[in-house]
Amino acid sequence: MNISVQTRNLTRRFGRFTAVDRVTLDVYEGEIFGFLGANGAGKTTLIRMLTGLLKPTEGEAQVAGFDVWGQSEAIKRRIGYMSQRFSLYEDLTAEENLTFYGGIYGLRRDQIEQRKAILFEHVGLQPFAGQMTRDLPLGFKQRLALACALLHDPPIVFLDEPTSGVDPKARRSFWNLIYQTAQLGKTLFVTTHFMDEAEYCHRVGIMHMGRMIAVGPPGQLKRQYDKSTMQEVFIALHQSSEEAA
Amino acid sequence: MQQILYLMWKEFKQVFRTREMLSIIFVAPMIQMLVLGFAISTEVKNVSLIITDFDRSSTSREILRAFEHTDRFRIVGYESSYRGIDNAIHRWHAQMAIVIPPNFGRDLQRGLQPEVLLIVDGLDGNTAGVALGYATGILRQFGQMVLRQRMLARPDAAIPVHQVVAEDRMWYNLDLQPEQYMIPGIVVLLITIISMLLSAMSMVREKEIGTMEQLMVTPLKRYQIILGKILPFLILAFVELGIVLVVAQFIFSIRIVGSYALLAGLAFLYLFATLGLGIFISTITQTQQQAMFVSWFFLIFMILMSGFFIPIENMPPLLQKITYINPMRYFMYIMREIFQKGSTFPFLLKDLVPMTVFGLLIFTFSVLKFQKRLA
Ligand SMILES: Nc1ncnc2c1ncn2[C@@H]1O[C@H](COP(=O)(O)OP(=O)(O)OP(=O)(O)O)[C@@H](O)[C@H]1O
Ligand SMILES: [Mg+2]
Repeated sequence: MNISVQTRNLTRRFGRFTAVDRVTLDVYEGEIFGFLGANGAGKTTLIRMLTGLLKPTEGEAQVAGFDVWGQSEAIKRRIGYMSQRFSLYEDLTAEENLTFYGGIYGLRRDQIEQRKAILFEHVGLQPFAGQMTRDLPLGFKQRLALACALLHDPPIVFLDEPTSGVDPKARRSFWNLIYQTAQLGKTLFVTTHFMDEAEYCHRVGIMHMGRMIAVGPPGQLKRQYDKSTMQEVFIALHQSSEEAA
Repeated sequence: MQQILYLMWKEFKQVFRTREMLSIIFVAPMIQMLVLGFAISTEVKNVSLIITDFDRSSTSREILRAFEHTDRFRIVGYESSYRGIDNAIHRWHAQMAIVIPPNFGRDLQRGLQPEVLLIVDGLDGNTAGVALGYATGILRQFGQMVLRQRMLARPDAAIPVHQVVAEDRMWYNLDLQPEQYMIPGIVVLLITIISMLLSAMSMVREKEIGTMEQLMVTPLKRYQIILGKILPFLILAFVELGIVLVVAQFIFSIRIVGSYALLAGLAFLYLFATLGLGIFISTITQTQQQAMFVSWFFLIFMILMSGFFIPIENMPPLLQKITYINPMRYFMYIMREIFQKGSTFPFLLKDLVPMTVFGLLIFTFSVLKFQKRLA
């Protein structure tokens, strides 16, 4: 299997504080990789290094075969990113937001129209195309953000807590959307701190205080630690690394 | 190129959908111009004047008539003592007093040089200076008239040298019309505000709501983001310039004497400095509130150090030196020159060059400081 994202001892410090500590990780093409961790574990910081928003302090990383140190612009053409905070233009309509990002990614006019139609269909937002973004319910805003991240058809998509703040039903349907997106052959890198969501992932990585403390398919992790849910696995791992520290 | 156009399209959409932005751009300038323009002009028109005539001769009455016959002054009372004058000025009843000493008429006839005393409320330095200018003008005219009459009456008499008055004529703003002087300054303030404050605010707003982070993970080049963000405000600054020139012409009847094309070209050079500052402010602030605060700090410094309110010649030497690093100082001067004298390019070079150099320095520095990355 081809590797989409590869890191070796990737580290980021803010002053004397180490937010991401020597993370080594491989994510394969077409995978839904879940990235778990408590608040402040370093998930967003790791994603920001992989998307070229932050320079690493040390270590290596390749995304879509390009190096984060010198080729971040090439990486940017091949990734979609949905940041943790909702960040589309609230004073543009849903459709205008898509048109804008299409233009930014250098798509032609007809391509933009075509992609817009496909994506509105994909995320189920056609009825709301003309609505002002600020008037959409949060769940729909997040679908729109996903549509924007997918507009230029990137092979790798980073979703940073895409379901925070929405009700369980909307979370469920957003995960359906993630599955459908994976079926298009894309690699999805999804952070969350909902343990039930971890069950939906092909593989998960569990992060604690900047360190990657376990990586594997949810089934295997549950067997390995002899637990019945990812929630229990997470708590057990947490306790053992607290004791180690 | 396409990317920049999309950024601009988005920016204009946002501006035209935000009522506050629209009012900052189109309504506020009109109001500011009208208020500033008219407030300043009426003040210097009807200066309230107290008269104290200790002489009571036909000569003194003639002088006073000259003051009555101009709309520059409005006679608000007669006092017979300095105490009375002091009181009137203190109570804001009068802004100026003219005191004609005893025997003034007789001394003048004898060829002595009697003096008229002018007392001005210096609290409002601008008005005081202008009013004093009018009053000395009137007195000087009167003095010359008396001189001429004496020469006519006694053609053989030698004119004592010390009686020849040097006249410092106002060459350009002939009537010392304060609007002539203030309006170009107001125009400078308005286009500075729109280009610097609004571009800074709009960039920081994207930081605040997180869309800047989203733009940074796209393949947009740094220069594309910057141009896409500042070109709309460059265009708006020119629209604003057009609006205020129209207002100046139709409401204040002030036409610029010089060339519109030159004005526009130099404004373009000036906008490098202000847009550069806008970018700079957006790189050192995180929220719109901070950006607003920092922008006003810069604006107040620039305005005070530009000669808009306080003429630069009247500043202490140290402050005068500081004004040389202020791009607004140069543009203020250039605008007044083009507006009033119709100065042409070669005559403006000495201010144009430092303005452009500072502008480009600020712009380059800010563009380099703007990174397509967080922290
Ligand atoms: N720019 C920064 N400067 C200093 N410290 C930072 C910076 N960004 C993040 N941190 C710190 O790094 C740590 C990891 O932050 P990060 O945002 O990566 O966590 P996270 O796992 O995404 O948490 P959350 O679930 O709250 O989003 C936190 O303690 C945070 O305070
Ligand atoms: Mg986070």
